[in-house]
Amino acid sequence: MVVNKKMAAAGLAAMMAVLPLAGCGSSKDSGGSESSPSASASATPSASPSASPSESASASPSAGDAGPKLTGDFEIQYFVGGYGDKWWKKVIADFKAANPDLNVIEDGGPKINDQNKPRWIGGNPPDFVYIDGAGLNDRQMVEDGQLEDLTEWFKTAKNVDGTLISDILAQPPQQYDGKIYNIPLVLNSWGVFWDKALFKDKGWTEPTDFQSFLDTGDKIKAAGITPFIHTGKYPYYIQGAILYPAIVSANNDDYSILKDMADSKVDAFKSPAVMAGLQQIVELRDKGFIDKASIQINHTDSQMSFLQHKDAFIPNGLWLPNEMSKDIPSGFDFGFIPSVTQKAGGKVVANTSTATVAIASKAKNKEAAKAFLSFIFSEAQASQWAELSGAPSNIKGDISSSSAPNFVKDAAKFLTDPNTVVIPTITFNADVEKVMWDATDALTIGKITPDEWVKRVTDAAAKVKK
Amino acid sequence: MKTSGTAKWQRNVFIASFTIPTLLFFCIFTIYPVIKALYYSMFDWSGMSDHMDFIGLQNFKDMFRDPIVWQALGNDYFLVAGKVVGIMLLATFFAVALTRFNFKLAGFFRSIFFIPNVISVVVIGVLWNFIYNPQIGFLNAFLSLFTKEPVTITWLGFTSHTIWMLLPPSIWAGIGFYMILLIAAIQNVPESLYEASDLEGSNQWQQFRSITMPLVWEQMKVSILNIMMTTLNGSFVIVWIMTEGGPDNSTQVMGSYLYQMAFRQYHFGFGAAIGVLILATSLVTTVILQRVLRQETIEMS
Repeated sequence: MVVNKKMAAAGLAAMMAVLPLAGCGSSKDSGGSESSPSASASATPSASPSASPSESASASPSAGDAGPKLTGDFEIQYFVGGYGDKWWKKVIADFKAANPDLNVIEDGGPKINDQNKPRWIGGNPPDFVYIDGAGLNDRQMVEDGQLEDLTEWFKTAKNVDGTLISDILAQPPQQYDGKIYNIPLVLNSWGVFWDKALFKDKGWTEPTDFQSFLDTGDKIKAAGITPFIHTGKYPYYIQGAILYPAIVSANNDDYSILKDMADSKVDAFKSPAVMAGLQQIVELRDKGFIDKASIQINHTDSQMSFLQHKDAFIPNGLWLPNEMSKDIPSGFDFGFIPSVTQKAGGKVVANTSTATVAIASKAKNKEAAKAFLSFIFSEAQASQWAELSGAPSNIKGDISSSSAPNFVKDAAKFLTDPNTVVIPTITFNADVEKVMWDATDALTIGKITPDEWVKRVTDAAAKVKK
Repeated sequence: MKTSGTAKWQRNVFIASFTIPTLLFFCIFTIYPVIKALYYSMFDWSGMSDHMDFIGLQNFKDMFRDPIVWQALGNDYFLVAGKVVGIMLLATFFAVALTRFNFKLAGFFRSIFFIPNVISVVVIGVLWNFIYNPQIGFLNAFLSLFTKEPVTITWLGFTSHTIWMLLPPSIWAGIGFYMILLIAAIQNVPESLYEASDLEGSNQWQQFRSITMPLVWEQMKVSILNIMMTTLNGSFVIVWIMTEGGPDNSTQVMGSYLYQMAFRQYHFGFGAAIGVLILATSLVTTVILQRVLRQETIEMS
């Protein structure tokens, strides 16, 4: 009897322990069955009729007047998040119109990354993927060999207007050991926001460099407002808008150090520039500028505090005004600068944020996928992007479109200024990045010193490199 | 001879028709996932890729060298201990109060105490996040009533021991169910025992010690075991909603670290290994608690 009860209790314990795992296991297995959509056999032969020069096969004839060149199935996976899906619907419709013989399949939705996961695992991915949202990490996908190497293609690729794509991109694609796998579609920037109206009212000077930021901070603090709030629950806000620009400034405006950090090179983290950047955060902390609430709150809470004038500065991205559009008090006028950590007279450092597009290495219709790339990286589609998604696209010249709100124009001014250092978006190794986040949080609450930050992160990087 | 054989066969068919489907479901939904988790824990796999590398027990070796795993394990057992003590004390107190002290509003209070159980843990997490919010939170606003300066404690942002702050919501959320369980048990205790002890002149405390406790011990034991199991396996939710394991991993529990590693840092094999650790600790703790809590069963007749 006793034994039975024990067994029953143990069994129950076992059952509860595995339930979460059961979810994972079963979702993967069920994928096998769903992952066999009619992969129509005509997918691959489509390459043969276009006997044009192999390098710019898709680019040479403009999509409009070309005959029925692309055939078969062409599947696009796109995540629907903050930028919406209006643009995707539009561009896919346009692409269909230009290629009537191509059967374009859309896999779109806010959960698409999870829904299509079994197919990526099963080696039957969609042809084209938009890498955005939770569950997709471009660096991880490259390491897993899931993305097509676009290095050669990118060198000569022209868009449908016949312009070289590499010439019109505002920020270049990230390189992984010198190779290119994904092309940035969006151009967004991290930076520091404030309320111009409040500053005018109180007679505070808007910051242009670190010293003026500190001076203004002193005045703000004296006026009984906390100068700076960030999002401790998600430390990438303070890292993206403060720490990384600070490191680049301290590294004589050379952002290659961030690339080395992203490649988990241990020496990069030991650089004096990293230490200098950390010291700037320590200075903010020791001056009491950082709102103590920061450490435990999420982005929405920090943004609400900022909008309610409890705090004067907030590190964030250009999506902030859109994100909070319902809660912005009347009269609020966003001021924006990409970085505040540079020395007086130093260059502004803009750390960009993006979402990229790529082709699956196991795509069945790579011709169509490349043609689609040429199609979307054109002036026409780029301006549609800005209009329909509310964010600047990664095509030069488009960002200053007249319908854009003030802060976007401010940002555009910075991003196109030759005196601004524009850091192309960099994806860190997920392990190293998590350790950096934790260490940065610990640094802002005085739990560790900058030396300990470096120690922790170099240990993590060394482990990843091993 | 022949007929009895058929009867036996029919009996076997009858038994089989009940046991086999159950066994089948048990195998598919319990045994198979456990084996699958064990299997994945032997691989270096990102959870996304179409290839996996077999690495034997390396994930387990890494796991035992990872200080965060130990932190998570410690936090888990801290929550188990805190919840067992907190919930059992309060649930028993309320159960006894609502049954033995005969006051009018017992039914009302029973509902009130049970309400947190009907609320989703997610909602509870969000709710307590607001209570703990340093700027607009209830707790700081309440404490500020008694001080000159406004209180600005960051309840979920201490440099260490932030895990303490997750105890009140967990306890608050758990009391109701175990209270109902104990109320049912206490109401099963024959009234005559209490009447007899009243005649003997014993007070409430003596009645509780000598009558109530021994007779509801089985239910208390089940409650303790259940609190332990649900905490080890399910504390993930409240942690993830309230702190995501932060700041600086000080509130990480095994479940949240499993999620973090498997789905945020793309080490699915390592995550599966943590899952196996959760399974093992649950089993071991169950067996140990069974031993510790063993007490001669007292039958009421």
